[in-house]
Amino acid sequence: MSMFGGGFQAQQSVNPQNIAMAEQELDMVTDLFNRIVDSCYTKCISTEYQQNDLSQGESVCIDRCVAKFFDVNAKVGEKMQQMGGGQPPQ
Amino acid sequence: MDFQRYNQAEQAQIAQMIEHKQMKDFLRLYSNLVQRCFNDCVNDFTTKSVTSKEEACVNKCADKFLKHSERVGARFGELSQQMTPPGSPQ
Repeated sequence: MSMFGGGFQAQQSVNPQNIAMAEQELDMVTDLFNRIVDSCYTKCISTEYQQNDLSQGESVCIDRCVAKFFDVNAKVGEKMQQMGGGQPPQ
Repeated sequence: MDFQRYNQAEQAQIAQMIEHKQMKDFLRLYSNLVQRCFNDCVNDFTTKSVTSKEEACVNKCADKFLKHSERVGARFGELSQQMTPPGSPQ
Protein backbone atom coordinates (compact mmCIF):
# COMPACT_ATOMS: atom_id res chain seq x y z
CA MET A 1 0.00 0.00 0.00
CA SER A 2 1.70 3.10 -1.15
CA MET A 3 1.04 6.36 0.61
CA PHE A 4 2.88 8.36 -1.99
CA GLY A 5 1.32 9.41 -5.25
CA GLY A 6 4.11 8.00 -7.39
CA GLY A 7 3.79 4.31 -6.58
CA PHE A 8 7.39 3.10 -6.46
CA GLN A 9 9.68 4.69 -3.91
CA ALA A 10 12.14 5.38 -6.72
CA GLN A 11 15.00 7.82 -6.47
CA GLN A 12 13.25 11.18 -6.17
CA SER A 13 14.80 14.10 -7.89
CA VAL A 14 15.49 17.32 -6.11
CA ASN A 15 14.40 20.40 -7.96
CA PRO A 16 17.05 23.02 -7.18
CA GLN A 17 14.56 25.77 -7.85
CA ASN A 18 12.34 24.49 -5.06
CA ILE A 19 15.29 24.39 -2.72
CA ALA A 20 16.24 27.94 -3.65
CA MET A 21 12.67 29.07 -3.07
CA ALA A 22 12.53 27.39 0.31
CA GLU A 23 15.85 28.93 1.27
CA GLN A 24 14.68 32.37 0.28
CA GLU A 25 11.49 32.03 2.29
CA LEU A 26 13.45 30.75 5.27
CA ASP A 27 15.91 33.64 5.07
CA MET A 28 13.06 36.12 4.88
CA VAL A 29 11.34 34.71 7.94
CA THR A 30 14.57 34.51 9.92
CA ASP A 31 15.46 38.07 8.98
CA LEU A 32 12.01 39.29 10.01
CA PHE A 33 12.29 37.51 13.33
CA ASN A 34 15.72 38.95 14.09
CA ARG A 35 14.58 42.45 13.26
CA ILE A 36 11.57 42.11 15.55
CA VAL A 37 13.78 40.86 18.37
CA ASP A 38 16.15 43.80 18.00
CA SER A 39 13.53 46.50 17.52
CA CYS A 40 11.26 45.35 20.32
CA TYR A 41 14.20 44.98 22.68
CA THR A 42 15.19 48.57 22.07
CA LYS A 43 11.63 49.78 22.48
CA CYS A 44 10.51 47.73 25.45
CA ILE A 45 13.42 46.73 27.65
CA SER A 46 15.26 49.32 29.68
CA THR A 47 18.99 48.87 29.96
CA GLU A 48 18.96 49.40 33.71
CA TYR A 49 18.74 45.66 34.27
CA GLN A 50 17.13 45.74 37.69
CA GLN A 51 16.12 42.09 37.62
CA ASN A 52 16.63 38.85 35.75
CA ASP A 53 13.02 38.36 34.69
CA LEU A 54 10.87 40.37 32.35
CA SER A 55 8.53 42.64 34.28
CA GLN A 56 4.81 42.54 33.57
CA GLY A 57 5.05 45.83 31.73
CA GLU A 58 7.90 44.62 29.57
CA SER A 59 6.06 41.40 28.74
CA VAL A 60 2.94 43.24 27.65
CA CYS A 61 5.07 45.69 25.68
CA ILE A 62 6.73 42.83 23.83
CA ASP A 63 3.39 41.24 22.91
CA ARG A 64 2.08 44.49 21.53
CA CYS A 65 5.35 45.32 19.82
CA VAL A 66 5.40 42.05 17.89
CA ALA A 67 1.77 42.46 16.83
CA LYS A 68 2.39 46.02 15.67
CA PHE A 69 5.51 45.06 13.81
CA PHE A 70 3.57 42.48 11.84
CA ASP A 71 0.91 45.08 11.07
CA VAL A 72 3.45 47.58 9.87
CA ASN A 73 5.13 44.86 7.85
CA ALA A 74 1.85 44.10 6.09
CA LYS A 75 1.00 47.76 5.51
CA VAL A 76 4.38 48.55 4.02
CA GLY A 77 4.08 45.46 1.83
CA GLU A 78 0.75 46.67 0.51
CA LYS A 79 2.18 50.10 -0.15
CA MET A 80 5.11 48.68 -2.06
CA GLN A 81 2.78 46.53 -4.13
CA GLN A 82 0.74 49.61 -5.00
CA MET A 83 3.84 51.50 -6.03
CA GLY A 84 5.28 48.50 -7.82
CA GLY A 85 2.09 48.29 -9.87
CA GLY A 86 3.06 51.48 -11.67
CA GLN A 87 6.26 49.96 -13.01
CA PRO A 88 6.51 47.88 -16.20
CA PRO A 89 6.82 44.10 -15.60
CA GLN A 90 10.42 42.74 -15.77
CA MET B 1 6.52 27.26 5.74
CA ASP B 2 4.44 24.67 4.00
CA PHE B 3 6.35 21.41 3.61
CA GLN B 4 3.64 19.70 1.59
CA ARG B 5 4.83 21.42 -1.55
CA TYR B 6 8.10 19.51 -1.54
CA ASN B 7 8.81 15.84 -2.18
CA GLN B 8 10.65 13.72 0.33
CA ALA B 9 14.11 14.20 -1.14
CA GLU B 10 13.62 17.94 -1.16
CA GLN B 11 12.25 17.91 2.36
CA ALA B 12 15.35 16.08 3.54
CA GLN B 13 17.61 18.64 1.92
CA ILE B 14 15.57 21.51 3.31
CA ALA B 15 15.66 19.99 6.80
CA GLN B 16 19.43 19.84 6.56
CA MET B 17 19.53 23.44 5.38
CA ILE B 18 17.36 24.50 8.32
CA GLU B 19 19.68 22.76 10.75
CA HIS B 20 22.69 24.49 9.24
CA LYS B 21 20.99 27.87 9.39
CA GLN B 22 19.88 27.35 12.97
CA MET B 23 23.45 26.69 14.02
CA LYS B 24 24.66 29.78 12.21
CA ASP B 25 21.89 31.80 13.82
CA PHE B 26 22.76 30.51 17.27
CA LEU B 27 26.36 31.68 16.84
CA ARG B 28 25.10 35.04 15.63
CA LEU B 29 22.82 35.31 18.66
CA TYR B 30 25.75 34.55 20.95
CA SER B 31 28.07 37.17 19.53
CA ASN B 32 25.27 39.74 19.39
CA LEU B 33 24.39 39.11 23.01
CA VAL B 34 28.00 39.44 24.16
CA GLN B 35 28.29 42.76 22.39
CA ARG B 36 24.98 44.03 23.71
CA CYS B 37 25.70 43.14 27.32
CA PHE B 38 29.21 44.50 27.10
CA ASN B 39 28.00 47.80 25.70
CA ASP B 40 25.25 48.13 28.27
CA CYS B 41 27.02 46.90 31.37
CA VAL B 42 30.75 47.37 31.20
CA ASN B 43 31.77 50.98 31.67
CA ASP B 44 34.35 50.90 34.44
CA PHE B 45 37.84 50.86 33.00
CA THR B 46 39.69 51.76 36.19
CA THR B 47 40.36 48.05 36.52
CA LYS B 48 41.17 45.16 34.19
CA SER B 49 38.91 42.62 35.87
CA VAL B 50 35.14 42.66 35.62
CA THR B 51 33.62 44.17 38.75
CA SER B 52 30.93 42.29 40.65
CA LYS B 53 28.44 44.97 39.73
CA GLU B 54 29.26 44.52 36.05
CA GLU B 55 29.03 40.77 36.38
CA ALA B 56 25.61 40.97 37.99
CA CYS B 57 24.53 43.35 35.22
CA VAL B 58 25.78 40.99 32.51
CA ASN B 59 23.88 38.14 34.13
CA LYS B 60 20.66 40.09 34.12
CA CYS B 61 21.30 41.36 30.62
CA ALA B 62 21.79 37.89 29.19
CA ASP B 63 18.80 36.51 31.10
CA LYS B 64 16.55 39.30 29.99
CA PHE B 65 17.55 39.14 26.37
CA LEU B 66 17.08 35.41 26.14
CA LYS B 67 13.70 35.58 27.84
CA HIS B 68 12.76 38.43 25.55
CA SER B 69 13.82 36.46 22.51
CA GLU B 70 11.80 33.48 23.72
CA ARG B 71 8.68 35.57 24.18
CA VAL B 72 9.05 37.22 20.79
CA GLY B 73 9.43 33.75 19.30
CA ALA B 74 6.20 32.60 20.91
CA ARG B 75 4.21 35.61 19.68
CA PHE B 76 5.89 35.40 16.28
CA GLY B 77 4.82 31.79 15.89
CA GLU B 78 1.24 32.56 16.85
CA LEU B 79 0.94 35.53 14.52
CA SER B 80 2.66 33.76 11.61
CA GLN B 81 0.19 30.93 11.87
CA GLN B 82 -2.73 33.32 11.84
CA MET B 83 -1.46 35.11 8.79
CA THR B 84 -0.06 32.55 6.38
CA PRO B 85 -2.71 29.89 5.75
CA PRO B 86 -5.84 31.90 4.93
CA GLY B 87 -7.93 28.99 3.70
CA SER B 88 -6.59 26.07 5.69
CA PRO B 89 -8.88 24.32 8.19
CA GLN B 90 -8.22 25.16 11.82
